[in-house]
Amino acid sequence: MIQARGITRTYQTHGSFTGDRTVRALRGVDFTLPDGGAVSFIGESGCGKTTLGKILTGLETFDGGELVVDGVELSKLRPRQREKYFRRIQMIHQDPYSALNPTRTVEATLGDPLRMRAREKAAAGEQAGSWRERAAELLTLVGLEPTAVLPKYPHQLSGGQRQRVVIARALTVDPTVLIADEAVSMIDVSMRLGILSLLRDLRARLGISLVFITHDVATARYVGDGGELHVIYRGEVVERGLTDEVILSPVHPYTQCLLSAVPVMRGLEEPGPDRTAPTAALDERTPTPGCLFQPRCPFAGAQCAEKHPVLVPFGLDAAGQGEAAAAEDGSGHVHACFYPESRRVVGVEVGAASA
Amino acid sequence: MSEVEVRDLTVEYQTSVGWLPAVAGASLDLRAGQITGLVGESGSGKSTLALSLLNAVPAPGRIAGGTIEVAGVGDLTRLGGKQLRKARGGAIGYVFQASQNSLNPLKTIGRQLLDLGRSHEVGDLRALIARAKDLANRMGLDGDRVLDSYQHELSGGMRQRVGIVFALVLNAKVLILDEPTTALDMLSQASVLDIVRKVHDENQLSTLIITHDIGAISEIADRLAVMYGGRIVEDGPLLDVLRRPTHPYTKALIGATARITGDVDGARALPGRPPDLTTVARAGCVFRDRCPFAVEVCAQTEPELETFESGRRRACHVEPSTVLTGPVLTGTTGTPAAVGEPA
Repeated sequence: MIQARGITRTYQTHGSFTGDRTVRALRGVDFTLPDGGAVSFIGESGCGKTTLGKILTGLETFDGGELVVDGVELSKLRPRQREKYFRRIQMIHQDPYSALNPTRTVEATLGDPLRMRAREKAAAGEQAGSWRERAAELLTLVGLEPTAVLPKYPHQLSGGQRQRVVIARALTVDPTVLIADEAVSMIDVSMRLGILSLLRDLRARLGISLVFITHDVATARYVGDGGELHVIYRGEVVERGLTDEVILSPVHPYTQCLLSAVPVMRGLEEPGPDRTAPTAALDERTPTPGCLFQPRCPFAGAQCAEKHPVLVPFGLDAAGQGEAAAAEDGSGHVHACFYPESRRVVGVEVGAASA
Repeated sequence: MSEVEVRDLTVEYQTSVGWLPAVAGASLDLRAGQITGLVGESGSGKSTLALSLLNAVPAPGRIAGGTIEVAGVGDLTRLGGKQLRKARGGAIGYVFQASQNSLNPLKTIGRQLLDLGRSHEVGDLRALIARAKDLANRMGLDGDRVLDSYQHELSGGMRQRVGIVFALVLNAKVLILDEPTTALDMLSQASVLDIVRKVHDENQLSTLIITHDIGAISEIADRLAVMYGGRIVEDGPLLDVLRRPTHPYTKALIGATARITGDVDGARALPGRPPDLTTVARAGCVFRDRCPFAVEVCAQTEPELETFESGRRRACHVEPSTVLTGPVLTGTTGTPAAVGEPA
């Protein structure tokens, strides 16, 4: 179980021409990841979703808020003491081409962490089998043929196979949480579903929970049941709810823009009647006191430029003291918009498609 | 009415085991005023086919046979030297794969544009700059700012648009885009696709878009060609192909696309892996190893790409109706067999 409360991260850049700049990569992100659960984060490039993934794996620090892993507040621990918590949270990187060492075979790649793990188990008095057997077991689990794959170098494998090796490597240390940061975006479309259903399988079979970070909303549907979707914009969650619910009835204009951008498979789908797009490109330099999305929002109203909306359930005023309510209720569909309105932006399946 | 006619094109690469075809006898038309989408997995030969449309297949590759007739230019495979250089970028505009990274990091966009003008012996460079600005403005960029920028000052979507400006600034009538949306996020992808459609219509181009993402292409293309193992296995009007795929591979590709609608459990990844130069079948159908419909004849004779009804071509021994009503590939995941590691 991982709980994040108001995680913030701010970067200071010292440009030689542009002067100093403060980038607020995360502005207070809350989420709860139950054991065996799935949480997806979607947003465009630069919205802070990768920073969040790095914080969760301990590759990056956070400067505000609290990260609670199995009831332990990590910021209260020394860095050394945090290690054992982060060990159980493993990352699957975006690019399987650069995530594997090209000079090492799959056997060598899996061997090191497995031998380390075996020593640990032995030290703890647990039963530790041979690491070779374990390597074969893991490769079988991720859908690869051990004898064929073990002696190979990364360049001898296809993108999809490489990503499976990366997943097997993440599994060597018996993690309880996997962070998949754009895990399928570099892989051929034809192979993506295979990786996605593998992740779904790992959830079902091993009870591993999953943080799925992506810009492609459609892929978030495939990570399994009960997944929660967080729409993140400039470091802030603007809409949250069950994945299917957010996709079918999005209420925040940013979510609606993201969903409208999903290509419609013409012939099989019809574009949603309310399809929309941002009115301007992302500009992070202009500070906005009000809603962060207001400068690009096609539906912005009078309040938006002045007041900052907070996450509230549908039907409540986003200006109100909704913070407490939103933080408490983890399961409901919430949004941060003054003028929420459900719009049909997602493509609609043509009836004849199945025939 | 075809702007580009590719006939029996064969492109080979030299390997340690001899010359192997990456594109084998491909025939494809780019019709005037239409956007043609060419889809296929990695290694299907689609990028090689696209590069040969500039007669620019890099060594150790060579065009081993076939013709590429471009309206107003002639057979590209026979051109060389100065004529070929003029055709590249002149008659045919090309936006390279990862065009984000194909700009010179040391020069402003404007200077690179002047280089392009000089190498094509454009007399009036001012007019060239003006046209580039106009194109950039119509694509939603600030023309003045962009020309004064270095590539690192532009976002991925902006660089992709700059690539399109470069391809079109010399009044090309044929536009080729190789994976224009890969590495872009959803919002940038949607706006780039939108812009491609717009400049295509405004300039009355004949456009070829190469991609592995059948979903993205289906948003804007008029025609669809599907490539596998160096062959074109099916083509036709996009809507018709998507509704009634008659090649097992096309059907599987559509079924393997993560979609925002439809049944999550109904979608299946393709089993096995796409062939590469060395593993592609030498005899018989190139897709038979992964094909749920494969029959005996598939192992012996290679199916020809034939017109089976008006405007539709396919290369498959199995009856179209059988493919249409038959199952999608039944690959499951998590089992080694599904991944089909070649023995």
